[in-house]
Amino acid sequence: MRLHFFELIWFSTYAELRAERARSYLGLAWWIIEPAMNMATYYLVFAIVLRTSQADYIPFLLVGLTLWQWFKSCVSHGGYAIWQSLPLIRQVRVPAQVFPSVQILADTVKFSFILALLLLILWAYGYPPNRAYFALPVVLLVELVFAAGAAYLVAAMMPFVPDLRFVIEQVLTVMMFLSGIVFSLDAVPESMRTWFALNPIATLVDAGRGILMHAQWPDWLALGRVALISLALFAAGTWLVARWTSRYVKLPT
Amino acid sequence: MNALVTLENVGVAFNAQMRVGAPRFWALEDVSLTLERGARLGVVGRNGAGKSTLLRTLAGIIEPDRGRVVRARVSCQLLSLAVGFVQHLSGRDNAILSGLLLGMRRREVERRLPAIHDFSELGDFFEQPISTYSTGMLARLGFSVAMQVEPEVLLIDEVLSVGDTEFQAKSGAALRERIHNGTTVVFVSHSDAAVRQVCDRALWVEHGRSVVQGDVDEVLRAYHAAAPAAAQ
Repeated sequence: MRLHFFELIWFSTYAELRAERARSYLGLAWWIIEPAMNMATYYLVFAIVLRTSQADYIPFLLVGLTLWQWFKSCVSHGGYAIWQSLPLIRQVRVPAQVFPSVQILADTVKFSFILALLLLILWAYGYPPNRAYFALPVVLLVELVFAAGAAYLVAAMMPFVPDLRFVIEQVLTVMMFLSGIVFSLDAVPESMRTWFALNPIATLVDAGRGILMHAQWPDWLALGRVALISLALFAAGTWLVARWTSRYVKLPT
Repeated sequence: MNALVTLENVGVAFNAQMRVGAPRFWALEDVSLTLERGARLGVVGRNGAGKSTLLRTLAGIIEPDRGRVVRARVSCQLLSLAVGFVQHLSGRDNAILSGLLLGMRRREVERRLPAIHDFSELGDFFEQPISTYSTGMLARLGFSVAMQVEPEVLLIDEVLSVGDTEFQAKSGAALRERIHNGTTVVFVSHSDAAVRQVCDRALWVEHGRSVVQGDVDEVLRAYHAAAPAAAQ
């Protein structure tokens, strides 16, 4: 049963990516072009129009947005997944966890391409690989757990409250600005910093920038705290999906 | 006898509307039935009597809100066509995806792909995206995949054959062979003739309640005798 579950997730992910490629003229190229356009937008606004004075703004922005977009796409795609699969859930007996998992996995595959490209750009830009790279998998793993947890949680609730979809994008936008993705959190007043430090994404992006740009090991204590929050969220999310699985099928069409 | 699935006073409620505090709607009120190994049970009843809900409860897609479902360690599957099909994928990929969704292991589906390809008569189209298929071709692929799932209890909702005239004969024959090969079957239908042909027992469901279960002719007679009264 469990092996079958993973086979189903794995093949559905392949199907999802394959179908997505077939749905547009440029296909796979969009995996790179779309995030690149997104980055260009922020660069235009913050570096050129607002003339951010921050040093190393381009690598700062690229690392931040790469890590952020991965999280964001997991939550928004994964969050919709069960709700969008309700017709299938009514038709066949299948664990609801499959649907968000497929989206998270598909977005992670896409992220791995963007990450590879980011590393190449950074090296070309004068930020060579360094020993702190060994900590990168840990940071990425924590982010994956956090993103998956958030995605499961949203996915679990969405079928009951489809209105959530009007809220989720706004919440994600606010969260992006509060995570120091496009501007440094150094600008935040001292009194508010402890609150910002609770935000897992801010810690993760900070750790990522430290590793990739400054050859700095992460703040393990902060990372450990974020890992705990992430695991708790993940446990809550999977538990809720499992608990509510039998109720999804009874929702109005 | 060997009961594979037993329902005891089963009720199933749906949330009728997306509104806080909306009342629930009981699609099944009180259904009891015993399904024995090798039995071919026909379920009759009017539209909205809860027949499809009953099938989905037997399949384990829906859990009861009251009463009890006792299932031996057997697989119960609804004969579902084109489950999870994705437009831009090839017939082959869709067959694998659908097979996995219907509970087969990857290796099992792969092993049966030649049979699916063969039965569907799709030829080279098997490798093409299903968005290029005609309705008839889609039906053929869907049926060919569904026939490869071999549950111990087969649940059928109305459909006994699909496709154009020629494929209808072929698919109907294949399904009838499956049904009469000792598979346990629950068959929902509006057609007396089909129920008589397929089933050796029948169950009449009215307003979400099981009225009578027994011999096909007796149940059908009781069902039609009650028609004017129940229609009110």
